[in-house]
Amino acid sequence: MAGIRLEGIEKAYSRTGPKAVEELTLDIDDGEFLCLLGPSGCGKTTTLRMLAGLEHPTAGRIELGGRTVVSVPEGICVPAERRGLGLVFQSYALWPHMSVRDNIEFGLKLHNVPSAERRRTADEVMTKLAIVQYADRYPNQLSGGQQQRVALARMLALKPGIILLDEPLSNLDAKLRLEMRAELKRIHREIGATIVFVTHDQWEAMTLATKIAVMSQGELQQLGTPDDIYERPANRFVAEFVGSLPINIIAVPGADEAADALQRWMVTALNDLGAPPGVSSVGIRPEALRIAPAQQPATAPAEPGPAALACTVVDVLPTGGNWIIELSAGGARLFAIAASAPGLAAGTAVRVSLGARDLHLFDADGARIDAAPEPARPA
Amino acid sequence: MAHRPSAKAAPSPSPTASARRTAGSWRFWLRTRATDPTTFLALALLVLFAYLIAGPILLLLGDAVRVHFPEVRRTGLPEGSFTTYYLERATMSPISQAIFWRPLMNTAQVAIGAIALALLVGAPLGWLLSRTNLPGKSWYSTALIVPYMLPSWTFALAWTTLFSNRTTGGTPSWMESFGFNPPDWLAYGQFPITLILALHYAPFVILLFGNALRMFDAQLEDAARIMGASRATITRKIILPMMLPSLVSASTLIFAKALGDFGVAYILGVPVNYNVLATSLFRAISTSQAGMSAVLAGTIVLFGVISILIDMRLLREAGRFQTIGSKGSMDRITDLGRWGPLASGWAMFVFLVSAAIPLIALALTTVMIRPGVFTLENFTFAYWIGTDLGTTALRQGILITPEFWNATWNSLWVVGTASLGAGLLGLLTGYAVARAPMGSVAVLLRQITFLPYLVPGIAFAAAYLSMFAVPRGPLPALYGTYIILVLAIMADQMPFASRAGISAMMQLGKDPEEAARIAGAGWWRRLTAVVIPIQKGALVAGVMLPFISGIKGLSLVVVLAVPGTDLLTTYAIRLVDNGYTQASNAVVLMICVIAFFGTLGAQKLTRSKLSDGLGGR
Repeated sequence: MAGIRLEGIEKAYSRTGPKAVEELTLDIDDGEFLCLLGPSGCGKTTTLRMLAGLEHPTAGRIELGGRTVVSVPEGICVPAERRGLGLVFQSYALWPHMSVRDNIEFGLKLHNVPSAERRRTADEVMTKLAIVQYADRYPNQLSGGQQQRVALARMLALKPGIILLDEPLSNLDAKLRLEMRAELKRIHREIGATIVFVTHDQWEAMTLATKIAVMSQGELQQLGTPDDIYERPANRFVAEFVGSLPINIIAVPGADEAADALQRWMVTALNDLGAPPGVSSVGIRPEALRIAPAQQPATAPAEPGPAALACTVVDVLPTGGNWIIELSAGGARLFAIAASAPGLAAGTAVRVSLGARDLHLFDADGARIDAAPEPARPA
Repeated sequence: MAHRPSAKAAPSPSPTASARRTAGSWRFWLRTRATDPTTFLALALLVLFAYLIAGPILLLLGDAVRVHFPEVRRTGLPEGSFTTYYLERATMSPISQAIFWRPLMNTAQVAIGAIALALLVGAPLGWLLSRTNLPGKSWYSTALIVPYMLPSWTFALAWTTLFSNRTTGGTPSWMESFGFNPPDWLAYGQFPITLILALHYAPFVILLFGNALRMFDAQLEDAARIMGASRATITRKIILPMMLPSLVSASTLIFAKALGDFGVAYILGVPVNYNVLATSLFRAISTSQAGMSAVLAGTIVLFGVISILIDMRLLREAGRFQTIGSKGSMDRITDLGRWGPLASGWAMFVFLVSAAIPLIALALTTVMIRPGVFTLENFTFAYWIGTDLGTTALRQGILITPEFWNATWNSLWVVGTASLGAGLLGLLTGYAVARAPMGSVAVLLRQITFLPYLVPGIAFAAAYLSMFAVPRGPLPALYGTYIILVLAIMADQMPFASRAGISAMMQLGKDPEEAARIAGAGWWRRLTAVVIPIQKGALVAGVMLPFISGIKGLSLVVVLAVPGTDLLTTYAIRLVDNGYTQASNAVVLMICVIAFFGTLGAQKLTRSKLSDGLGGR
């Protein structure tokens, strides 16, 4: 019973300037692990803070677990301290003048929990997060990862039905980040709370969330599962924002205006595949590109796709386990990523192929165009 | 759920927020404010400061152009109507020379002389302390600041103890006892006043100039040297131009302080009818000339404002080419070599003249029957603990005089209460400024709490008289009560207290408080359980510094205290007035002890330096 509903939420910091959040409507089911993903300044943190009650929208309604906590038209505003949700700050915001135990018990004290029970609850969450040995330390005596755990413990002690996390992993080093990620997933599984977390790190979002809401310039771009977001980006922004190596975008000009070999190839390919009209650009994920040496005889493609494209290797960048391969098709650049780079060196001529389903089509406004049903395979 | 990425492409289904401001959204706005009373706090503070700071000052300035009862007949105008009578009387009447122009000229001469002398003494010391291997440097860096820790008029008293002559009579001075009769120019008036103010405020120069030198990026020096510039050229063309802001800053600070300094001129000038604006103002107040005192106080305020404006302007301009200290700003120490002992001797000389000799003279005087006579039977502790002294009043030693203990107790609790109030209000002001959602309120709060800084103590006291000598609003007439002292000291200290509070709150950030909010803590709980405990250190500093400056302050309270509400400082001045040299010296020494150890204690407690407080203006 701890779903979240945002309805037409809008936040303007000044009357004339651009809005931080615009017309945001979002339904988050009970038990969801939702990630607000977007570049900095996209309004994701503002949205989280409005949920928490630390900021107030200029229009719209917010319901938490069926209770209206904000309604601008009805003049309802439940203060943050009475919304009963949990929030972990990016800076952790531990109270420097209280020990770890006092930090954790403070909220319980505010809710008039008797001291024996307070102690028990605090011990419980500290044990769960493996910080029980630090109970009497002060925040400045703890490492960043330990502080993070204390911040989590402090929030969990109150057993909130809704948990908000503001870039919870951004201040940790790579190893701790991995550890905390597992910890967060475990917590979500165990307590089944609805979690909303904010990040600009798409990898974090992909690995943690059950649903991702991609935002840009105060507007929701797409809401979907991580797979949806990656495999069926709703628009060019989402396609370009998500993906550790940026997606290749190929502009599709009018039939006679193709500027380079790559565009000419794409125009032909779209024609051959019978793509719907109105396509203005095409995105291809680097890992969708299959590279074969040019002299190797062409094998029959596993799935229908555009004709192979002749390219030259410009550079091969090892990233440890993977290779980023920079290609040139008659001067136009393409990036591919491969699990192995046998015999590829700058100047090698290669043939690049891909499946039709790996083409992401966008119209002039950048919105996704769903390709026509796949052409029937030749009998 | 897919939205188009461009806002322009997607037609907005509903009108904009501003067009939709319905009754509900106003109610919503109020509700959001109610969940966070910071706005109300800010407004409440604004009202309070309007009443305690802006009100008195405006009223005082108004008093200069309003007919007061005694002048109703002379001006032929009803009481309270607009008049330029006081302004004309001060500037253009037959007596204006005596009551306005000459004091103004004297003030200007004293201030400018003090600035020049302080620069001359302080700048070389600032350099010695910051950029050389002066022997005993760390000891000097405390010792040379001592004069500033003590009240300026302490040194005026020491001066009369050493140099006064028969012109004013009273207890003979040391010089007289040595058989030398100091001439009037040496004993009283402009020369000693200028010298004492210069030595008292030289620490400003030492600290500000020394700090600026310390922050100076030595790479700039190196760059010039590599191009072939000589040491002299570098000093003249590179270092001095960049040090100018700190010197100007110290100068304007000294000017503003000298303008309002009452005690020194009162002790050394008034007996020979040498008046500065501050003493003229005091006389006008004590003879109940409300209009004239408003004109004089207004003049002091005017000059105070001008000097601060010049300072701010110059500092802003200096900010344009401020170099951020990189690793080049590390201390580059000049080896004094064989000049070391000479430099050290000079520093020692300044220390002896500006602190040691005056204090020793004061101390010795309190145990001598005839000052400056070094025979065994001339020494006595009677002025501290004796009885039957054979004087008309005050027939026993200071330490067994109830008035002394009364004044000590008054000083402690009045100044203590005021400082506590100032510290708390300063923190609340910091809270309101850092958190208030309305930017304009924050700016206004900042400015109004800064206002007393522009108004030298004695003028501020005059303002308080204008405001609280008669019943105002909910308060009855407060003159002659302790309340007016507490309020005036508190308001006078607000610039420092609010600055400390604002910077502390700005550094804290919102997170700890918001975390408490999420945990379920209401506003009051957040303030008392989170904000104030975290700001304990800042609060201590915000209380201690006003306390020290209040304990030794004279110009503010000399106007407002009456014999029934004496503080240590006003009690000492009363003793001076009545010619009890030894007793007044003893009281002043007690003030020095409290101020000195208070300062050291505060520095220990807050791990700050006096120079930080100065630089952080």
